[in-house]
Parts: sequence; structure tokens; C-alpha cells
Amino acid sequence: MAHIQEEDRNYLTKEFEKMVNPVKLVFFTQKFECQYCELTHELLGELSELSDKINVEVYDFVENKEKAEQYNIARIPAIVVEGEKDYGIRFYGVPAGYEFSTLVEDIIDVSKGTTTLADETKEALKKLEKPVHIQVFITLTCPYCPRAVRMAHQMAMESELVTGDMVEASEYPQLSNRYGVSAVPKIVINENVSFEGALPEANYLEKVLEGEGASKKS
Amino acid sequence: MDGLMFSLKKEDDSVQLDDFYDVVVIGGGPAGLTAAIYASRAKLKTLIIEKEEIGGEAAATDMIENYPGFPEGINGHALADRMVEQAKRFGAVVYYGYPTNFDFSSQPKTFQLEGKTISAQTIIIATGTSPKMLNVPGERELKGRGVSYCATCDAPIFAGKDIAVIGCGNSGLQEGLFILKFVKSIKFIEFLPTIQAEKILQDKIQAHENTTCFVNHQVISINGKDRVESITMKDRESGEEKVIPAEGVFIYVGLIPNTDAFKGQLKLNDWGYIVTDDNLMTSVPGVFAAGDVRDKGLRQVATAIGDGAVAAVAAEHFVESVQQKKK
Repeated sequence: MAHIQEEDRNYLTKEFEKMVNPVKLVFFTQKFECQYCELTHELLGELSELSDKINVEVYDFVENKEKAEQYNIARIPAIVVEGEKDYGIRFYGVPAGYEFSTLVEDIIDVSKGTTTLADETKEALKKLEKPVHIQVFITLTCPYCPRAVRMAHQMAMESELVTGDMVEASEYPQLSNRYGVSAVPKIVINENVSFEGALPEANYLEKVLEGEGASKKS
Repeated sequence: MDGLMFSLKKEDDSVQLDDFYDVVVIGGGPAGLTAAIYASRAKLKTLIIEKEEIGGEAAATDMIENYPGFPEGINGHALADRMVEQAKRFGAVVYYGYPTNFDFSSQPKTFQLEGKTISAQTIIIATGTSPKMLNVPGERELKGRGVSYCATCDAPIFAGKDIAVIGCGNSGLQEGLFILKFVKSIKFIEFLPTIQAEKILQDKIQAHENTTCFVNHQVISINGKDRVESITMKDRESGEEKVIPAEGVFIYVGLIPNTDAFKGQLKLNDWGYIVTDDNLMTSVPGVFAAGDVRDKGLRQVATAIGDGAVAAVAAEHFVESVQQKKK
């Protein structure tokens, strides 16, 4: 049975006409001990059928260790949305529920090579000097989460120093535990700055800059 | 895992702000979106400003069973998505941000958004409500560490755990049903001697063996070092205090209106809700209020929608009268 409904397929086929350059979905999976790997794989397959500009590359997390290291993949299932280059956009966990839209919007952004961030945000991101790792913990039923993930991914597109991870909290209980995640969206920046809730762009940016600053001192 | 449907948001969020609108709707819940549908369909230049996520409180409701037209019930976020699509079809624009510095003293009305001054012939306030805090020790400290006000957001994180829901009104029990999809057990705690929720919800909850209900109990504190570990509550009849273990606490003890930005400019009632006339006009001509934020008897999606329509038509008449005067 198809995961993407007929009505949505039609919508997506049209939506993907906005794509400019090809997009590669680099997928890391494993044959065992990964509850949602197969589902994620099937979903990506269905997406790639909707546009000839979407290609899926599949790697085994263990067997293709060097690829996993190249993309700095920490766990599975993982998706990298890659365009002309690897912008640092990561999905850890199945992009289902409300996050399905996030993946679709990312694909289109990456294909165009542009984001909808404000000019002030883009300028501030250009001035970053240190790497910024944004981890956005979410659940698939959280209506406020997609905006927080999109922000991290768009920032990753605007700065080579930013990596943005979506992390589906319930699939990685140990990681969630480590960061004390019990409300989502929870955004962790460079280990040392974190906040909860979908902040507006300007405030989100402030936290990112704070996270970068804190890492400078260390 | 719940939530494994693939929900698709059909909207484009690249929006350019203009300086002037006929109608500015503050808040993208059911009331605001309905107002925007009516206003934009009447060819008024319409902007909706949302601070967080389209759908308001309804978006965080897993299943709305009493909104007509959906015999199987509908997910609040899915319903909101349809409304946005409808409003956009008629030309309304959705912008995400925090409007500030409202000035209702002249015509047109003005406010600030992203450092820009925007003028509007009419403003429809549909800012809704926020969950009320319980105001007990531990609640603020442990917020986001086991204390939650959003079941659809956070319930999956408590998979297999014992949790508590405070408040047995409709919200508490409705959200409890969603939480039960994930957790091991729920203890419901109600201050009043009886459960306040509709009978249909009570029956559904009671059908689950892993639920317990304490009525006539007052929560004294929420306890835990870094995470919620337990709740201390008092039996209001016997005065006996008990500590019950819980790794999560979902709080549904009422609502507070989101009217801080308008204090001093509009007439509010004793609880902070906006007072309106029959056409939903506030104490300031050209400023209307719709939905949960308004002083009224029943706060439901169904009544919010009615409000949105009434306010939008009244706003349309107001815009016409302003244009008449100009001529």
C-alpha cells in the first residue's frame, strides 16, 4: 500500500515542478534493529517517483561506514537532503506526521538553492565563525515542531558552518534522555544552549548566535 | 507509533508585507481563519498574523468530534490546514510574527510588525487563549521537564510511563484519550467533587483499565529534581495528603485570554476577555474580536467559526462606511 495518498501525490507532482536542480536524498539504513528504516525507505521511494529531479541513494550504516563518516551520520534512519552540495540538512527518524511537509519544503528549497529567511538573518549567518550544530527534537504529532525544524534547515542552507538535525524524540530515547527532552520542539545548539518552543526567526537567530558565542569561549 | 500518517501542509510561506490592509486578523485559529475567508472573499485586502502555528488551540487537539460535517471527527490541525487553503484561495495572506505597539486611537489603526509600521482600516482580534497554569510549587521549575500543556506535542515522549492529567474537564479527558495511545497509565486529578467533562468522554476514559480518577483532590506540589517524579495531592474531604508517582504531568485547568497587548485600549471583562457588541465590535469602532478571546458563554470551534463570520461582515461594513466618508 502506498504511504502517500493519491490526492497528495497529485499535489506533490505539481509542487515539485517548482524544482530547478536535481536533489539527492542520501538515505542511511540498517537491516536489523531499526523499526522505521523500512518505512522511511519506502517513503523516499514514493517521493522519487513523483519527480525525475529527486534521486535516492541508499547506504547501509554498517557496511558503508566510510559514507556514513563522510556525511557525519550519527544514527539511523538518517536522510541527507543534498543539492549542489551537502548543506548540512539532516533528518534522524522517519519524516512522517507533520514532518512530512518539512521534507517536501526542504527538497524544493535545496533544489532552488534559496531560502525564505529574512535578509537580516542571512547577513548574521554569514558572519558566523565557528561551527553551529542545531538539533531540533520533535514528535510527529507536534503542530509547532515543523517550523522549528525548517528554521534549522534553512539556516544550514545559508551558512556552511551550520548543520541542522531533525531528531524524532521517541525513536532515540537515549539521546532524548541525554538532553532532557520532555517537551517539544526542543532545540539544542552546540550542546550548551537550548530552548523549547517555536521561536520567531529573530529570536531563534539570537539563540543560534548565543550558541556559537558559547562555543568560542570553550 | 501514532502520527505515522503523512500530513501535508499545502501552503507557501514566502510572504511580502504591505503597508496597508483593509482587514488585519490577529491570530490564525478557527475564528481568525474564518474571518479571513469571509473578508478576502468580499475582496477586502486581508492579512492574517500568526505568532506560532496556524490552528490555534484547535491545532493541538488530536480529535475534534463535535464540529459538524465530520462524522468521524477531524484532527484539529488538519481542519485548520483546510481553512488556510480556503482563505488563501480568496487572496488572504498569512504572516508569521509578533505584532506590537497597537495604536487604535486614529483611523486607520496602526501597529508594528518586524520593525515596519502597518496600517489597517479594521482589526479583528482572534488571539484566543493560553492554558492556565496551576500555580503550585514545582510547576514552573519542571515545565518542559515533565510538566506539559500540549498532549499532541509531548505525549509520545512519555511512551510506557505512568503520568498524571490535572483537570477533568472536556480538555483534560479529550487529551487524556490521546495520551493513552502512548503511556502505561494515567491518573486523573480533579479539584471539584465531580468530573466536569461530557458523559461521552467519561465513558471512553473509563473503558480504559489503566486509568484512575481522583475527584475532590487538590494538587499541592509537583515534585522532582531534574524531572517530574511525583505529585503531592490532598483529599479535600479528609484532608489527607498523598504522594503519587508520575513521570509526566499534563495540565488542563482552564484558559487565560491572550489580551495583554490590548490592555488599556479596549474594554475587557474582569477575567481579561474582550467585551463586544452583537456585531462583535469592541469598545473601539473598527476593532472587532472573535473566538475564544471574546467574552462569551461557549468556547468551541463551532462558535469560533460563527464569530469569525460575524466579525468579518461587520468589518466589511465598517470599511465601506469609512470609504463613504472619504467621498
